[in-house]
Amino acid sequence: MRRPNDSLPVPPPTTNRAPMSLPPVTRREFLQRASGGFGALALAGLLADEARANQDPLAPREPHFTPRADRVIFLYSTGGTSHVDTFDYKPQLIADHGKKITASRWLNKPGQFERYLIKPRYKFAQHGQSGIWVSELFPHLTGVIDDVCLLNAMHCDSDGHDKATLAAHTGSAQFARPSAGAWVSYGLGTPNRNLPAFMVLAPAAPYAGAQTWGSDFLPACHQGTHVIPGPEPLPNLKPRGPAPDLQGLELQLLGQFNRKHLERRSADLALDARVRSFETAFGMQREAPEAFDLSQETEATHALYGLERGATSGFGWQCLVARRLVERGVRFLELIDVGSSNNWDSHGNMADHERLSKAIDKPIAGLLTDLKQRGLLDRTLVVWTTEFGRTSFHQTADHPGREHHNLVFTSWLAGGGVRGGFVHGQSDEHGILPASGAVHTHDLHATILHLLGLDHERLTYRHAGRDYRLTDVAGRVVTEILA
Amino acid sequence: MFLPLLRFPVVPSVLALVVWFVPQAAPAADPGIDFFEQKIRPLLVTRCEGCHSSVTGKTSGGLALDTRQGWANGGDNGPAIVPGKPEESPLLQAISYTDPDLQMPPPGKGERLTADEVAAVAAWIKAGAVDPRVAGERLGGMSADEARRWWSWQSLKPVAVPEVREATWPQTDLDRFILAALEREGLPHAGPADRRTLIRRVTFNLTGLPPTSAEIRDFLADDQPGAFDRVIDRLLASEAYGERWGRHWLDVARYADTAGDGADYPVREAFRYRDWVVRAFQKDLPFDEFLKLQIAGDLLAPARPAEEYADCITATGFLAVGKRYGYAPNPDYQHLDFADVIDSVGRSLLGLSLGCARCHDHKYDPVSMRDYYGLYGILQSTRWAFPGGEEHKRPTHFPPLVPAAEVDRLEMERAATVARLETELATLQASRGKLDGNWIAGGPDLALESQPDGKPPAAPWLSAGPNAVGPESQSPFAHIHPPGQRGVRVGSGQPTDGIRYVFPQKLKKTPGGKFHLTVDFRTVAGADQPGAYRFYLGRGVIESLALEVSVTRQELALKNGTDWEVIRPIEPGVWHTLQATLDPDQRTWSGVVGPAGDLTEFRDKKLNPAWDGILDTFICDGIGHVAGPAPARDIDNLGLQAVPFPPPGSDPVPAFVPPADAPARLARWAEQIKQLTAERDAVQAREIYPTAYGVSEGTATNAKLQKRGEPAQPGEEIPRQYLTILGGDLLPEGTPGSGRLQLAEWLTRSQQPLAARVFVNRVWGWHFGQGLVTTASDFGSRGELPSHPELLEWLTGQFLQSGGSLKALQRLILRSAVYQQGSDDLPEGLARDPGNRWLWRHPRQPLDAESIRDAMLFVSGRLERGPAGPHPFPPTHTWAFTIHQPFHAVYDSNHRSLYLMQQRNRRHPFLALFDSADPNQSVAQRLPTVTPTQTLYLMNSPFVHEQAAAFAARSALPGLSDSERARQMIEAAHGREADSAELELAGQFIAQYASRLPAETTAADRETAAWQAFARVLLTGNAFLSVD
Repeated sequence: MRRPNDSLPVPPPTTNRAPMSLPPVTRREFLQRASGGFGALALAGLLADEARANQDPLAPREPHFTPRADRVIFLYSTGGTSHVDTFDYKPQLIADHGKKITASRWLNKPGQFERYLIKPRYKFAQHGQSGIWVSELFPHLTGVIDDVCLLNAMHCDSDGHDKATLAAHTGSAQFARPSAGAWVSYGLGTPNRNLPAFMVLAPAAPYAGAQTWGSDFLPACHQGTHVIPGPEPLPNLKPRGPAPDLQGLELQLLGQFNRKHLERRSADLALDARVRSFETAFGMQREAPEAFDLSQETEATHALYGLERGATSGFGWQCLVARRLVERGVRFLELIDVGSSNNWDSHGNMADHERLSKAIDKPIAGLLTDLKQRGLLDRTLVVWTTEFGRTSFHQTADHPGREHHNLVFTSWLAGGGVRGGFVHGQSDEHGILPASGAVHTHDLHATILHLLGLDHERLTYRHAGRDYRLTDVAGRVVTEILA
Repeated sequence: MFLPLLRFPVVPSVLALVVWFVPQAAPAADPGIDFFEQKIRPLLVTRCEGCHSSVTGKTSGGLALDTRQGWANGGDNGPAIVPGKPEESPLLQAISYTDPDLQMPPPGKGERLTADEVAAVAAWIKAGAVDPRVAGERLGGMSADEARRWWSWQSLKPVAVPEVREATWPQTDLDRFILAALEREGLPHAGPADRRTLIRRVTFNLTGLPPTSAEIRDFLADDQPGAFDRVIDRLLASEAYGERWGRHWLDVARYADTAGDGADYPVREAFRYRDWVVRAFQKDLPFDEFLKLQIAGDLLAPARPAEEYADCITATGFLAVGKRYGYAPNPDYQHLDFADVIDSVGRSLLGLSLGCARCHDHKYDPVSMRDYYGLYGILQSTRWAFPGGEEHKRPTHFPPLVPAAEVDRLEMERAATVARLETELATLQASRGKLDGNWIAGGPDLALESQPDGKPPAAPWLSAGPNAVGPESQSPFAHIHPPGQRGVRVGSGQPTDGIRYVFPQKLKKTPGGKFHLTVDFRTVAGADQPGAYRFYLGRGVIESLALEVSVTRQELALKNGTDWEVIRPIEPGVWHTLQATLDPDQRTWSGVVGPAGDLTEFRDKKLNPAWDGILDTFICDGIGHVAGPAPARDIDNLGLQAVPFPPPGSDPVPAFVPPADAPARLARWAEQIKQLTAERDAVQAREIYPTAYGVSEGTATNAKLQKRGEPAQPGEEIPRQYLTILGGDLLPEGTPGSGRLQLAEWLTRSQQPLAARVFVNRVWGWHFGQGLVTTASDFGSRGELPSHPELLEWLTGQFLQSGGSLKALQRLILRSAVYQQGSDDLPEGLARDPGNRWLWRHPRQPLDAESIRDAMLFVSGRLERGPAGPHPFPPTHTWAFTIHQPFHAVYDSNHRSLYLMQQRNRRHPFLALFDSADPNQSVAQRLPTVTPTQTLYLMNSPFVHEQAAAFAARSALPGLSDSERARQMIEAAHGREADSAELELAGQFIAQYASRLPAETTAADRETAAWQAFARVLLTGNAFLSVD
């Protein structure tokens, strides 16, 4: 029987290290300084190796320190999931239903607003050994709740969808910045060049569009590759033309021409890289469809994810494909459940949350279970978040919807070095402000990088005259949740 | 011990020169300093400066404690120390942990100071807080001295052309600079490139397209002196040149065709700026003119010839075309739009990262927040075209491309046409009203007449509550309608119950036009409810209120502006008539109200100030000037039209008997009314003059500094001004306008050649792959120093001497030996200068996204030339984009790639895949990558397959041998002459490919497929995708 980890490619040994600011001396400078005893050719050889390694910005790099996780599956629910209806149990809110409070913000405006507290629409109960409270919206997830670590005092800088979505991904609610996945790709590279390092499985673009997974000033190879669930998840993957099987013949002639072209240009690494990229792309043609081909998965696995055999979309498909892709070495996978419309943005009626939670509950529970039983969960960090929570109060006592609320909400993590069955952070009695253990978006990002063995203050990129970080000038690793 | 009390200097702010203090060793001669050095400095260093240091740049809460000025200026909470007053010094409070909200070091970040340490600090403050860390003058993030000496901000210096040993190599003076450096570094240089290499290089470099076989052969055959000059001249004169070099500038200008807000609104007019840039390069617009027009073209336009007017306005698109953040044309997110503009102007024109100074003085360069908000004021005084956004879904403030007088003339012409059509319409409607009682007063009031008795009024009325149509509600007035059988009784007393009538034709304000309203009503006899009912007239239910009348069982009031005024008493059971005339020009209304024979006149009441000039809705509900349940009332004879009604007391309108031909005439008029209405709407909607996505003058005002970049935390007002380091000019006293005109002058003045330096360096980079300064948008202290500073200086001098002619500069570069070098590998060069910083060879470059696509279309013969014009965006009136449903489109085209619709938030898939410029910010340099997803595109995309098929098809000439066909294709795609081995390889490939196709393939199809496959090989080979 195949061991669960068999298909995980082993990163080749490398001298590359994750980028950090201001290295004292570059390796080239070092070699040049130390070149007294080197022959010119030996030096040139070393420099060429160096340049070759640099030429491939996706080559695996060692982290700053021993990582707890090797890869990330980032689950994103678009629209703003209500914390008080899902993971943040507020008995006092239930008790005080209909009572008036004075809110300090309403629709992104500061002031004094008389509002009515509104109890959750959904019932909560305690689950697992840990006795964590979860609402009836996530009946399957409760089965693996002892692997989950809730952050019940998350907060972010904006209550606008596009700005908060960007903040959750890039750390900046305002300006174009690289996405977290791009930073991880830049920091760690990827062990499998037949697949991109950062992939996004999303049926539709979230708020802010492709900027959400963009690389911005980082080299473009770090941007997320958007996979749209469906029969052809990656474009241009299928050979085209009257005789696709003759493509090998074409590539053979191309190789001959390219080799001749390269004769007088052998030092040009970009040309060489393109030659090799044809091999990689040819490999991807083979490997990627196989990664997306769920026919080899058993009935039991399909059932675990709540997936019908033959389906090529749905969150169950995304989750199962995600497992197959992390098995194949993809470094950072993002799964977005819905796009910028018909999402968790339940202004009108919280009943909408039922449809949306139903779509992701079983697939997520299936994913965690499957990762665990295959021994992958230990080294895979799973994160679930949303752009913000929703108000626990409204203008009338019987209002069926909830508004945006970025002052406190819930995210959660599981696997890769995270303390399972644990709740970190509390909101106040009515779920309006953090009471303790507040975690800002920057803190979450710092923690994700930390678990991957990256120091968020040292993972920098020099751009436009200064060093940029995912966490800007903030961020604190939430050490309380480390296993 | 008694310490002397010191007075502290106040920082002068008049000069916009930020002065603060840096630590320096000071002799410890007096007891105050002794105390500081022994007790306080160690504490500050070990316990505070980790988070509060101007040297590290980490100044939590805006507070630095490593300088005296740091704590004197203080942070967000004001000065941290008040010398002599420990009890008023926040720093002491913080370290004493007396205030739970202010505790330093913060819990968890270090232990509290001991009681002794706190006491020492208290004593130090009490004694005057002696702090010897004395001043050095600073400008933003540099010492003032260093800033004054920094190379890039110096005036232009004359440069001597260096001597070289290998005197035969240089073809121009430019070469001597390069060669001198190569000789100094002991590096070789490559030999000259062959002519095929050279023409392919220069053709791609100047036009972004490959040379044709004929062009190659002409150049090979030209054995007269100056052959290459003739190639350069031909290329510089080509249309493709403007397209290629315009595209370079569009990278810098962060050009996109959408706004970049959450909903990513399309900008129909952006393409005009794009095309202007292309023409500007084509025409070799002098550099200072090129810059000035982009900053202040609108202000220069009036003094220019009329035919230049549109271009002048269009050029300001440079400012407008950045990423937008707002949802509506209001200042809510303007600080973010301006952050983009200031940062882009800084990087693109000056090589300075000004954006840093939005929240704090620049950490490394001499740019202060005052500098930032000095420029901000200029932008705030400017009116910005608003592209449309979530909350306001239509473009607005787009500056016209014709002068103001012409705009007025065209608008008046339009108004006259509209007025004529309105008159015709009114006449027709009046005729119709005379023939068909249902159309009297602009609406079928008498639809009440056809409603069933005892029921609430049905469509076209809307009704809420127990309302009933019936004969008891028939008004006795007959001066407008012939007496009918029915009115409507309204009233449950509930405030929101009532009736609503939406007129089928919206009435819109026209110059000089008035509106007329009539309605009959009575409070039902015996009603005892104390409240009021109301007549509402306006657009929509709440969208835009024009006027309100409120009636109780006792009195009638009306709205004068926003105030209720009681006009007269009311007798329940008695029918009253109200007739009002609205004057939208004066924004007033007047009229009469009362029972027959007892009319009260009211004059010049104010209409609602927010009314938008459109009427289509009448409402009678239960909300009015007196609270409480409203009495029941009867309503009848409602009318609204643009022509006056007969006044009350006029002769009764006789009962109506339609003539025999009425139906035919009515049908004809109905058709005419429909046509005229459509025509009028079209005239009103027509764009009678083109507009630009640019800027115009707003209200001149200085900006307030925004603490930490937060508009909600305004600081002092900053006069509009230029950057201190570049002169710090203030607007001359009494300058009218925004200051953009002055900014344009400041940017381009000859004494300060920074903008020219930055531009010349960019041009060098666009020829050689990287600039002499490799950080092309950063000439500040964090940027790289120039590799050949004298050369950059010399080139800038030549450029300015030529009057800022780009083409002259390019001739200088292209004629040089260094440009015409081969790109061969030289082992010594590779070993010692692998990055080719010293230009020992011509750098080989990969084709960029646009060149790949354009060259494929060019070789396939399918490239459509000329500007592609506007994009096929959906018509403006359909725009409803939101962040939930953002705009997204990809438009196919066979035009050059710079004409593709460049969407900001979801980039064009091809352009994004091949690393084109991300339009979210100014791009100094493309960073090409090689990824397998790109290669998959090359292998399998429909686009590449289509171009290859077309390429193969056009290569199939009658009578051509396979070998000659292959030779021609290789020359067309790679610009090179194939050798016999390659041709043989090609022949084998064709034969083998054709033979291995499925059995049922015809001979002709076999040949076609094989040549298409061969074309794909050529179009995706390295010889195609890179330029030597």
